[in-house]
Amino acid sequence: MGENSQSEAIDEPPSSGKAFLRVVDGRTYQDWEAVYRDNVVGIYHLVFRRVGNPPDAEDLCEEVLLQALRRLRLPAPVHEVRAYLVKTARTVLAEHWRRHYAGGGAEVNIDQMVIKNPSSGDFPEESSATSERAMRILALLPDRFRQVLELRFLRGYSVAEAAREMGVSDSNAKVLQYRALRKAAQVAGELAP
Amino acid sequence: MRRQPQDRVSRFVDDLLKRRRPARFRATSEELEALTAATELAPLKAGVDLPDPRFVARLEDRLRQQLEDPPARSRVWSRRGLLQAAGAAAAAAVVGVTVDRTILNPTGPASESGPLVPNAAQWRPVAALSELPAGKARTFSTGAVQGVIVNDNGKIRALSRVCTHLGCVLQPNVESRSLDCPCHRTVFAWDGSVDRHQLPSRPARLPTIESRVREGQIEVLVV
Repeated sequence: MGENSQSEAIDEPPSSGKAFLRVVDGRTYQDWEAVYRDNVVGIYHLVFRRVGNPPDAEDLCEEVLLQALRRLRLPAPVHEVRAYLVKTARTVLAEHWRRHYAGGGAEVNIDQMVIKNPSSGDFPEESSATSERAMRILALLPDRFRQVLELRFLRGYSVAEAAREMGVSDSNAKVLQYRALRKAAQVAGELAP
Repeated sequence: MRRQPQDRVSRFVDDLLKRRRPARFRATSEELEALTAATELAPLKAGVDLPDPRFVARLEDRLRQQLEDPPARSRVWSRRGLLQAAGAAAAAAVVGVTVDRTILNPTGPASESGPLVPNAAQWRPVAALSELPAGKARTFSTGAVQGVIVNDNGKIRALSRVCTHLGCVLQPNVESRSLDCPCHRTVFAWDGSVDRHQLPSRPARLPTIESRVREGQIEVLVV
């Protein structure tokens, strides 16, 4: 590396990518600190995408890591540890949604609706993939649905501002947003994780 | 008056957009469907979040207290340790640059945190100094890092070329001496600061990449 002398096109270096950032040597975690350092950001992302706000994401990230690290027997292979972390995250997320949002008839659907995707195969999720996925979801929506969600989620408009932009009443904008989100959930369910 | 589903869901969205913990309520299946979609779309506004570095350090301390017998000792995270922690998510070094900015310097803009020095970084030549007269910019890519070098009135500077909003690749604009985002009309100055934007909240400035001139070559410290 380092032999390239021109800009515009430094080609792929021989060993670019993740290797230098790995805390473990080989494919085994020796201690909990190695597990933590290698996975805390990935778990945070996994959780964040399913709660959508930092305070909940921090609480649940802590819960997942505490639960998993208490039970893990180390040293253990990386893929086994990650599978266990993801499994724990599923349980913790389901419990979070059940505890705070169940009771109105949503109980039976929580597992499949909230926790559908995470699997150890795609963990850790790449941070850029979350935004790309959200953009893909928007792109697949009918025009009015996409418009209201873009105004809200991309441009941060209030309901009143979005309503004005779309030439509808505030209450109509809320209904449109609600329907658009339900449609987005269906679209998301059909997309690959 | 009892709130309607669209009101409850709208309030939930308001909370997500303000990055605060949303109100809890008993949701129907239809409402839950809408809420889960909202959580997936929430990162669109602020970009994808990395955890607050203070949280990462605090949590490690708490885990140590819980998992180890001896009383916890406060631990200061090293730059290397933080990069390693961030490594799981930093699939691309572009993300790594952002990680460096965000995790190592939570309170200040990128330029104050010092340049990125990844563990396995190497000085790599990207252009001859003579190819970059004052007022010119050149892009470079290592496959992992998308960057740009600029000659800003004689000062050579290297920056990440990835918009800190949603990760679109910025286009150098020599006339206005700026880096322009093709996605949302965000414009960064050649020192990495945000010149103008139309976003609801101001995006972070661009991370710098360490650079030097050696034997007539401009070199950047990258992976």
